[in-house]
Amino acid sequence: MIGDKMSKVEQADEAGVVRIKWIPKYSAMERVFHWGHTVTYFALALTGMILFFPFLQPIAQGESGWLIRLTHRASAIAYGAFPLVYVILEPRRAWMSLKSVFKVSRYDIDWVKGMVPYYMFGRHEAMAPQDRFNTGEKLNAAVIILGSVVFAVTGLIMWFGKGILPIGVFQTMVLLHDIAMIVTVCMFIVHFYLAVLHPLMWAGLVSMRFGVTSAAYAQEHHALWYYGPEKAREIYEAQKAEQAAGEESTTG
Amino acid sequence: MSRLAMLIDESICMGCRGCQVACKQWNDLPGEETVQRGSYENPPDLSPTTWTRVKFTELVQGDSLQWLFLTQGCFHCGHPACVEVCPTGALKQDPSLGIVTIERELCNGCGYCTQFCPFGIPRLDTDLLSGEGKAFKCNFCQDRVTNGLSPACVKTCPAGAFKFGERDEMLVKAHARVEQLKQAGFPNANLYGENEMGGLGRLYVLKERPSVYGLPENPQYPIMANLWQDVVQPLGTVAFGAAALAMLGFYFVARRNIKMEEVE
Repeated sequence: MIGDKMSKVEQADEAGVVRIKWIPKYSAMERVFHWGHTVTYFALALTGMILFFPFLQPIAQGESGWLIRLTHRASAIAYGAFPLVYVILEPRRAWMSLKSVFKVSRYDIDWVKGMVPYYMFGRHEAMAPQDRFNTGEKLNAAVIILGSVVFAVTGLIMWFGKGILPIGVFQTMVLLHDIAMIVTVCMFIVHFYLAVLHPLMWAGLVSMRFGVTSAAYAQEHHALWYYGPEKAREIYEAQKAEQAAGEESTTG
Repeated sequence: MSRLAMLIDESICMGCRGCQVACKQWNDLPGEETVQRGSYENPPDLSPTTWTRVKFTELVQGDSLQWLFLTQGCFHCGHPACVEVCPTGALKQDPSLGIVTIERELCNGCGYCTQFCPFGIPRLDTDLLSGEGKAFKCNFCQDRVTNGLSPACVKTCPAGAFKFGERDEMLVKAHARVEQLKQAGFPNANLYGENEMGGLGRLYVLKERPSVYGLPENPQYPIMANLWQDVVQPLGTVAFGAAALAMLGFYFVARRNIKMEEVE
């Protein structure tokens, strides 16, 4: 069970106090980036919706509509500035994170297979070892990164290219901007559910708030990151063998 | 009242630009400082303060020169894309008269109308950085028309190139005039606007093909507007709802199945 693994690094001392070994996971810059992006993404999504949903027409009109458009533009600058500041201040970490987001392996397929039993039923036996980001986090990051690139390109063209470029270009940009919005908002809903609402998923929120994760959690959920590829694979193989044996004994 | 239209006989227009001036006068629009560009055509394009303008085209065919005039302005389409894409409802099509107007107080300056009009008629007067401003175009002198008067450009035309009234009547007159022109030695004479974009409220009798005047031969309702409004927007709404509902469902399944006491 999940609780068993705690004994490896976290032992209750005589007084019964659990000592948790905290290890750093996200730098301060990464957390500022994440939460800054959260706030500006919210602002962008809400202000952008006025030109998307017909029922919001009353607030899209006249002066209030213009102020909302202005807020959208100001938020867009901040939204674009966060990743740029991250890349400038912590280029090596940014590159490392980017590489690990777009690195796909066999473990990701295994993780997806184990996703439903884990997230719906809390079964965590023999989940594929994960790097600093798990497959779900990587998928979220990849969608947001690619979506943001589409937002930036189409948004800048609509902002500065209106009246200069052919109208067909502008129309295509409107469409792409909307599609990127739909995809990322759906992704955001899933991300919010897993990060905040899901009963098992408190650890990620703690890491994003304080920048650390417990060693026990890292061993179990980010073995590839904690142990390195070889040991992680050994542990994974052993877990799978153990699980197969267990299944045999119950059926036989 | 039924749908209105103005019929502009470009074979009669003499390029005096009285309509341009009358439009500015009635709508209280300032003049523009312009430069000599080697043409009587002035100002160079429609603008937020120029809603009607005579476009001059010099057509050279062998030894002969034709000086063609085209009174530009909003076409008041029967199926206007600008009205469909306007997110504020500032652009409206009058249900009985069929004229297309911008209600200035409602416009937020987003500029979608300027980018979805197949004729490029609405013009945006906005600040590049802040986006503050409004869109402008010919409003068919809505205030005059609804009070039984004709639009200022129609009223002022000294050549009598403008006719104004119920659209069906205008079409009859236009067809007759085209036939007359054909017999008078203009084999390319044609009527522009009978069926384009749901039928235009600004009809032209032209001596030459529309493209010679710089008009699109076959203006189409922008397919992107259809895709965007009829496909992407409803799909997006459904997707948001589906994602939120799925997560809510997963939440209850997870709550039922995961025993938190065992986990901790």
